[in-house]
Amino acid sequence: MKKSSILGIVVIAIAIAVIISTYSSTSTYGSFNEAKETRSELHVVGKLNKQKELFYEPTKDANYFSFYMKDNKGSDCKVVYTGTKPEDFERSEQIVLTGKMVGNEFHASSILMKCPSKYTQDKLETKEYKATQASI
Amino acid sequence: MDIDFKGEHLLPGQIGQFFLVLSFGASLISFLSYYFATTDKVSTTAASWQKIGRVGYYLNFVALLGIGVCLFYIIRNHYFEYHYVWAYTSRSLPARYIISAFWNGQEGGFILWLFWQGVLGIFLINKAGSWERPVMTVVALSQVVLATMVLGVEIFHVRLGSSPFLLLRNDMEGPIFSNPNYLSFIKDGQGMVPSLQNYWMIIHPPTLFLGFAAMVVPFAYATAGLWQKRLTEWVQPAISYALFACMILGTGVVMGSFWAYESLNFGGFWAWDPVENASIFAWITMVAALHVLIVFKNTGHSYFTATFLVMISFVLTWYSSFLNRSGILGDTSVHSFTDLGMFWQLVIGILIFLAITVWLLVSRWKQMPITKKDEETYSREFWMFVGAIFLGLSCFHLIVVTSIPVWNAIFHTNIAPPADAARMRHYNVIQSSFVFVITILTAFTQFLKYKKTDVTRFFITTAAYLVFAAFITALIVYATGLYKLNFVFVLVMWGSVYSVIANGKILADALKGQFKLAGSAVGHIGFGLLMVGALISAGTSSVISVNNTGEAFSAEFAKEQNPRENILVYRNQPLKMGDYMVTYLGDSLSAPDHFYKVNYKEMDAAGKVKDDFTLYPKAQVNKGALAASPDTKHYLFHDLYTHITMTNSISMTEDAGTEADEHKTEDDSKAYDAPIAHEVAVGDTIPYREGYIVVKKLNKGVKVKNIPLNPTDISVGAELEIVAHGKTYTAEPVYMIKGKGVFDFAKKVEDAGLKLRFSKILPDKNKVEITVYQQPESQKKYIVMKAIKFPYINFFWAGTIIMVVGFLLSIFRRNKELKTV
Repeated sequence: MKKSSILGIVVIAIAIAVIISTYSSTSTYGSFNEAKETRSELHVVGKLNKQKELFYEPTKDANYFSFYMKDNKGSDCKVVYTGTKPEDFERSEQIVLTGKMVGNEFHASSILMKCPSKYTQDKLETKEYKATQASI
Repeated sequence: MDIDFKGEHLLPGQIGQFFLVLSFGASLISFLSYYFATTDKVSTTAASWQKIGRVGYYLNFVALLGIGVCLFYIIRNHYFEYHYVWAYTSRSLPARYIISAFWNGQEGGFILWLFWQGVLGIFLINKAGSWERPVMTVVALSQVVLATMVLGVEIFHVRLGSSPFLLLRNDMEGPIFSNPNYLSFIKDGQGMVPSLQNYWMIIHPPTLFLGFAAMVVPFAYATAGLWQKRLTEWVQPAISYALFACMILGTGVVMGSFWAYESLNFGGFWAWDPVENASIFAWITMVAALHVLIVFKNTGHSYFTATFLVMISFVLTWYSSFLNRSGILGDTSVHSFTDLGMFWQLVIGILIFLAITVWLLVSRWKQMPITKKDEETYSREFWMFVGAIFLGLSCFHLIVVTSIPVWNAIFHTNIAPPADAARMRHYNVIQSSFVFVITILTAFTQFLKYKKTDVTRFFITTAAYLVFAAFITALIVYATGLYKLNFVFVLVMWGSVYSVIANGKILADALKGQFKLAGSAVGHIGFGLLMVGALISAGTSSVISVNNTGEAFSAEFAKEQNPRENILVYRNQPLKMGDYMVTYLGDSLSAPDHFYKVNYKEMDAAGKVKDDFTLYPKAQVNKGALAASPDTKHYLFHDLYTHITMTNSISMTEDAGTEADEHKTEDDSKAYDAPIAHEVAVGDTIPYREGYIVVKKLNKGVKVKNIPLNPTDISVGAELEIVAHGKTYTAEPVYMIKGKGVFDFAKKVEDAGLKLRFSKILPDKNKVEITVYQQPESQKKYIVMKAIKFPYINFFWAGTIIMVVGFLLSIFRRNKELKTV
């Protein structure tokens, strides 16, 4: 057999291996209900539930942040994240969580937020200038 | 409907828009003329076509400069009626970032790319000689396609491109824009994102875009060679340009990685973020192409692979541009992507160049000089070819994974790419496997001769160096703790060390005699060192600010998620963190930045201070959110990072709250815990939560500001010394009887969080009463910070520089060859 054909076979084999290993390390997007049924990590897309409590108290624990999120199917779940509250969190439009269910809490290993894009929701900030009052 | 808007400066925008259209028109003329110059059989008409082509190209370049001047002018003068100026700058933006505002938006990026391609085109007009006509046809075509991206003109109800001279009122809807006086309400722009306010933003994009732009030249040569049936001639000149493109793009990418490392935006120097991956697609394939081009030049083998790799590199440049700009990566990257509504335009851009590639490769397939003879196993070329194939595979893997959102869009699937830790693991392990093979190849291939080698001698040298490298690797792996990680990283370390040593030997030989081999040896040493640095730094970086003091919200939670990487440090309250004692000393403001003074003291076993330094991580309040950037202590062998993740010492409104504090009303008792009164005599000590207070002495007749005292009035000051966390402060509250009224003047010690009142004099007991107000725990100023140690990163930077030197040496060598041929 020619060397180039051997090389060709090796290349094809590695390419297939790459695709399989890529596929096996990807996960799927799902909902909280699906997360309850599986033990593996899942991506959940949803919105911050602004009616419920958003808890971050750095003086008690700088690495504990919890909030409630509504997933795209409409179910609501408490989310716990070990870390600080991401900047601008309240203003997020959409959240993508990666993590899994532990009991009734979803433990997120990462939070990716989508903030209002400059191009879709620009609001002009008009500022009024007021003289500051003199105080003695 | 037409409103006469006041205060707008429309002229510079109109001139700019004119130049945009001119640059498009001129490049189109240049492209067509060069095309006819190439295809016209009559030499005189062809020559005049060539002249028009040149004029068109120069005109296009002049127009590009004009665009630049206009854009700079509107940014410099803060004309917020332009969307680009309003979106990316503000009045408070420091002057040095005006230049980086230029390429903050995607339009600016395209203009930068156009500019560099313009420069390269002019270089080719003067240097390419007989290649000028076909090569410039391709370059001008690329210029035409790029120009459409910034055209901003509507043709048949389709907006082509996005212009940087778009007016704010045309881009956005709002009732405000029906007011002819609307500009007087827009006082300021949105401003630049704080993380972009970095000097790397000035230098990194131009370098990167020069690298992207340079990719067109080898592509143009390959296209020209196939098109004009000068099938083998194009290879020699293309090598130098390919070397240049790789050198610049590589430098640009590493600059970006340096920036990411410094600002921690991506959590390190490389995070396999889609943006980062996309930027190296073309680099990897072009490096592979370079090796195969040399193989072809020396042996005549592998023509198809060489041509294919050169051409696909340029297509991939466009593909990465599509990934970054079309908004398709949306959920998968920390980069903020904005979609300018040019999705299909970008797709068409890729398809044009892909079509050229496929068509030429297919139609010239029969004429290609493809050898039937098998290659020598013990030749350098064969293994260079193998190495290039592995580079291609590594790039293939990157493309497959990075493009998952694209597969989802095409096949309507719902696959989520691996995120965060999983992503890092996935890429690191798979890419390391490729890198292991590649580094080993870069080493032993150098021991082989071009064409044929003495086999026994080769095996002995190779084996000897492999064993020696294994020995050194064992030392490094043991010393750095790399062995605790996946075994594949140890293998990569072995390969990299082997590559450095073997190429070092080649370099030593080259210095003695054959200097022309130095370039490749130096380049490979650089790559090896870069990998060594990357492996140790990324593999063994450690978070120092590990914190296990937080309240356990649930035991299970604490058990499972242990890396608690943020610690809370109260002001002036030292905290032990790893080997260090950290103290948050205070803040300083230099608008718009807020700096935090964080002192580090490293103690040795005997408790003596070994190292003492202060870092100034900073934060900026940007539209109600905290944007922090870290400060770093650089050592030769490691870097120590401090990053503020949260604080209560900065108010989230735009104006920092420090000044407001000064004018607070007197009734601030709510800001303190319930007061505690102490009856004390001189010399007594009052303990409190954070330290103690000593009553030094009582001073009679103390004056308070400008209150006049009558002889009958009594005024006593209590000189107090406060000791808190190893620091001493003094304060003197005053007790006063004036006329019939009794007053007392409290004193605050902000740094100790205290307010002290001299509330009573008890003459019968010979004592006084001091009332202590303590700041509640939650009111105390604090920062939440993260400290990370990255070791041996300097190998990474040094490796990069050495690699660039290697590229440079190779360019010199190839250029010399070009002249002698």
